[in-house]
Amino acid sequence: MSDLVIETSGLRKEFRSRRGGLRVAVHDLDLAVPRGGVHGFLGPNGSGKTTTIRMLLGLARASKGRMEVFGHPIPSALPQVIDRIGAVVESPKFSPHFSGRQNLLLLARAIGVPRSRVDEAVETVGLTGRDKDRFKSYSLGMKQRLAIAATLLKDPDLLILDEPTNGLDPAGIREIRDTIRDLGERGVTVLLSSHILAEVQQVCTSATIIGNGRLLASGNVDELLRTGPSAVRVEVDDPAAARSALGGAGFAVVPPTAGETAILVESDAPSEVTRVLGEAGIWLSALTPIRRDLESVFLELTEADTLGHGPDAGPDAGPEARA
Amino acid sequence: MRSLLRVELTRLRWRRAILLLLVAVVAVPVVFGVAVALETVPPTASDRATAARQAEQEAEQPYVEDELANCQDSPQDYGVGDASDLEAACEEMIVPRPEWYLATQELDLVQQRDDTGLAVAAFISVLLLLAGATFAGHDWSSGSMSNQLLFETRRLRVWTAKALAVVLVSGLLSLVVLSGYWVALWSLARSRDLPSSNAILVDCLQDGARGALVAALAAFGGYALTMLFRSTVATVGVLLAVAVAGGALIAVLGIDAKYQPQTNLSAVVLDDATYNVEVPDECFMQAEPPEGLDCDEEKVLPARDGSIYLGSLVVLAGAASVLSFRRRDVP
Repeated sequence: MSDLVIETSGLRKEFRSRRGGLRVAVHDLDLAVPRGGVHGFLGPNGSGKTTTIRMLLGLARASKGRMEVFGHPIPSALPQVIDRIGAVVESPKFSPHFSGRQNLLLLARAIGVPRSRVDEAVETVGLTGRDKDRFKSYSLGMKQRLAIAATLLKDPDLLILDEPTNGLDPAGIREIRDTIRDLGERGVTVLLSSHILAEVQQVCTSATIIGNGRLLASGNVDELLRTGPSAVRVEVDDPAAARSALGGAGFAVVPPTAGETAILVESDAPSEVTRVLGEAGIWLSALTPIRRDLESVFLELTEADTLGHGPDAGPDAGPEARA
Repeated sequence: MRSLLRVELTRLRWRRAILLLLVAVVAVPVVFGVAVALETVPPTASDRATAARQAEQEAEQPYVEDELANCQDSPQDYGVGDASDLEAACEEMIVPRPEWYLATQELDLVQQRDDTGLAVAAFISVLLLLAGATFAGHDWSSGSMSNQLLFETRRLRVWTAKALAVVLVSGLLSLVVLSGYWVALWSLARSRDLPSSNAILVDCLQDGARGALVAALAAFGGYALTMLFRSTVATVGVLLAVAVAGGALIAVLGIDAKYQPQTNLSAVVLDDATYNVEVPDECFMQAEPPEGLDCDEEKVLPARDGSIYLGSLVVLAGAASVLSFRRRDVP
């Protein structure tokens, strides 16, 4: 059995405009989502995340490339695996004139799921009491919950969630986050597309970052956080002397802002920093390693990509090498 | 497939806009039936006596004698050129009769087949076309189509289940409603001791069945076009444009009237339809039309030809709709 639940190779999606122009939304994307856990799928607006998800779910046709889900080719074998996939794509889309329960019942009947599963799903997402109200009267958060309830009807092995916490209040976001984490721990593979990078970092075990339809980085979250330069925050009585000493030893130093006594030093070896400062007779008040977060990794990668010198600029730069 | 069909039937039943249209489908023949019943209320003895007196007085007017003479001199001008008994034919055509002076006319089922029967079938067809278009349009306008396809990815099955639901509901409802209409009129004629043989009822019911077929095809057409255009408004707009511009184009280009949709609709519902064609000027230059020249201005379009015409349109719309739905991305 393959360790990958989702695998794409050279996946490409082109849109032709009415004027005959060609826009490439997804550019030869190689995506690999490992079995189990929560996999973040990150990228700025218009980077091709939703288009990729829509191709995986058979809602859009790929222009080129290969896709597999659970080892089955997509879209030809999608009917064989769709019962194992729950998905929320973009905003929740239900019939506005039907109640939440009616919408779920229609979907459940289509796949032969008993009515009791609808009750369970409604209860799981906390819509009990409002499930008989019309969908159009729901708040955005309630619509999101209903969409998640729909995915739970199938008891899926793979959950694809595109911005699932949109419109939710902080308590709702926490509930969804806990649900996602819980599903991941129970062996359900979750592909989570989100802009809220702190959320992703908290729940995801691995992630893929794309920009302009191209793969920018992919791997375990810890690996991604280790990419790029690390830094330490150094507090001393004489920042100017410390800056001079560290600069002389070849460290990149960010000078303190007005009124600050701390300087930022690019280094993944704090012991080296203390040694240089000690040899210069400068004694530390505090030294704090600056932990990179997913947001900074994401911004570095996507900004570099936007400027046209992203990590995939080189023709030989493979995705794993980029991570 | 059965579960999908049941889902689509439920979806259809739960849509209020469609329910309203289906209620209108039931209401239209009721309104027509009541109007026919009121317009054909049998006249009282006093009404008949008054009408007979008026007809007698009118028959004594000098112009009647003049007209009778003219008719016998130029029977072609009065449309009785082929009559074997010219005098009787002219009298029937010109001499006033009491029924001309009655405010209500007798209920004539044969006449109703051409008049209200066709109108009711046409109204029902338009309403069911809108129902089919609304049913499909709602899936697209709400965006719920993509959600449905996340549960059943085989698009042909989804398309077919929806089409079956539309055709089943519209076909059955229109069959019941049109049959009810004719049975009601037939019963009314029978209660008034008017001609109402079983043969007439069978003819009327056959009209009803053909009308139901047309209505079901119209509903299917509305559904198929909306699945193609992905918008109810676009479907209605295109159909209006085709109805107006298409009819005008056929008239302007001098294309035979048998290609008008309404002529073919009449042919299918009524078993055949007559339409007029332009004949060469030579037809009018001599008393007798030249040999070998077709000077018959009135032609008959058989139901078979009308069925082929309407069927081809429906098959075209259905094929384009399926192809589009299977291939195009779903928003």
